[in-house]
Amino acid sequence: MDETQLLLVEELPVRFFDCNVFWGLPIKRSLSTISTVDMLLGEMDRAGIQKALVWHIAQHDASPQMGNRLLAEGIQGHSRLVGCWTLLPNQGHEFPALPTFFADMKRARVGALRVFPNSHRFLANAVSMGDWFEQMVERRVPLFVSVRRGMEWRDVYALLAEFPDLVCVICDHGCWGMDRLFRPLLERYAHVYVDTSQYLLDGGLEALVADYGSARLLFGSGFPESYFGGMMLALRHARIPGEAKVAIAGGNLERILEEESL
Amino acid sequence: MIGETKLAQDFWELGRCPECPIYDMHGHMGVWHSIYFPRADTADMIRTMDECGVRVLLFSHHMALFAPDLGNTLAVEAVRRYPDRLRAYCAVNPNYPELLDADLAALDADPHHPLIPDVYLGLKFLADYHGIALSDERYRPAWQYADEHELLVLAHTWGGSPFDGPSVVRAMAEAYPRVKLLLGHSCHGEWDAAVQLARDFANIYLELTAVFDDRGVLEKLVREAGSDRLLFGTDLPWFDPHQAIGALLSAEISDEDRHNICHRNAERLLAPFLGMSGV
Repeated sequence: MDETQLLLVEELPVRFFDCNVFWGLPIKRSLSTISTVDMLLGEMDRAGIQKALVWHIAQHDASPQMGNRLLAEGIQGHSRLVGCWTLLPNQGHEFPALPTFFADMKRARVGALRVFPNSHRFLANAVSMGDWFEQMVERRVPLFVSVRRGMEWRDVYALLAEFPDLVCVICDHGCWGMDRLFRPLLERYAHVYVDTSQYLLDGGLEALVADYGSARLLFGSGFPESYFGGMMLALRHARIPGEAKVAIAGGNLERILEEESL
Repeated sequence: MIGETKLAQDFWELGRCPECPIYDMHGHMGVWHSIYFPRADTADMIRTMDECGVRVLLFSHHMALFAPDLGNTLAVEAVRRYPDRLRAYCAVNPNYPELLDADLAALDADPHHPLIPDVYLGLKFLADYHGIALSDERYRPAWQYADEHELLVLAHTWGGSPFDGPSVVRAMAEAYPRVKLLLGHSCHGEWDAAVQLARDFANIYLELTAVFDDRGVLEKLVREAGSDRLLFGTDLPWFDPHQAIGALLSAEISDEDRHNICHRNAERLLAPFLGMSGV
């Protein structure tokens, strides 16, 4: 890439659509708590984040059902926020039946789902949740899995082996260099994405774009546990074309959400 | 944008700020077994430094820390190649006291005693990885040498570690008060203990590698330990300095604090050596 291409970034409108944000009081007090939607929107304004795909920490720490409700109530009326609910195996009928669930998602402006199998004591696989994952594949509903919080690499590999067409975003994959774990998944599965939160590796963004293109990366901050600005500045000055920055900053997530049908 | 001041604008627009040079006090170099590094060689690291406004990097080579067969030789070569941008910590692996003896003898043999200022500016301890506590007898010659010559010691420190956690650090700070002790990662996770160490010992500095990713900690350390006790670090080639700078700009601290962290504290610490080495 030559210097002319690098300069293009200044001419392109980079809009940040953060794929990895939560709010709410964690069970353990934290230095980084954002307790309300208003606080979150204020921080987004301060940083220059236009939109965010958000979840509520209670979805993990307390109860998916209650957390999902808090999320839906919180984002109501805030068009800059799109929701991400948490899912459980439904043998106990803890959630509505599938068509109803997806209709509820649409009504609540929830565009994606998360699972926390370790924390919530289940296995995210065909035996436990095959009907759900089949529907998610069909409807192209993205599933976010957090390596930091609730899903181990072996389980991510196993899930994708069973559902190779699942739209799966691997987030919070850790700052200690996880390329050897997520690159094989990017190569094998066309609908796997990685978020940028905790992807602090110097030159990592450039190397990934060179090997897999810019369509497989989603800007995520990990806010409020990480600052918005860290990966914003890293992306802004990454040695990749301006179009790639636009895609990673928000274009890819917009496209993924547009492609789903609830 | 992540701030409205000129400092923030410069970093946002240019990627660097001429009025706020950065001294990265915690780097490495070269390949390593557990992480894929796209930019691990010296020239790539220098380019990253240029783009981020990093004036000087103090580093310990991965091979010096993990390959006793090679010791510090690759670090010396790198510094000789980029003498205006790099300085090394002499890496100490206490599992091999004979190597430490040889390194210290080489330092003593140099006419610029007490250290070779055009290569080393201090010692590096990595107790968690070497599996030997900082307080172990096998570290004693290195501590004594650093204390005698009032050197910098960059010690990897981690909360909860029996090798380099806060209580071990405290014992060493008490025993060797003339060492300028840089706590790599600031006893990561035990932030209150790190603050207390900085308050109790004037010769302790908190180094911020891997701290930048924990929102809220910077504000706490600035508020409770003071920004004049904090040092910028990235583990380069591990972490992109722009990520660290972006976090620094996002934190609710002042530009004066940011100047302290990025360069003023380092300039003060390195002054005795910079004059000798011409960096």
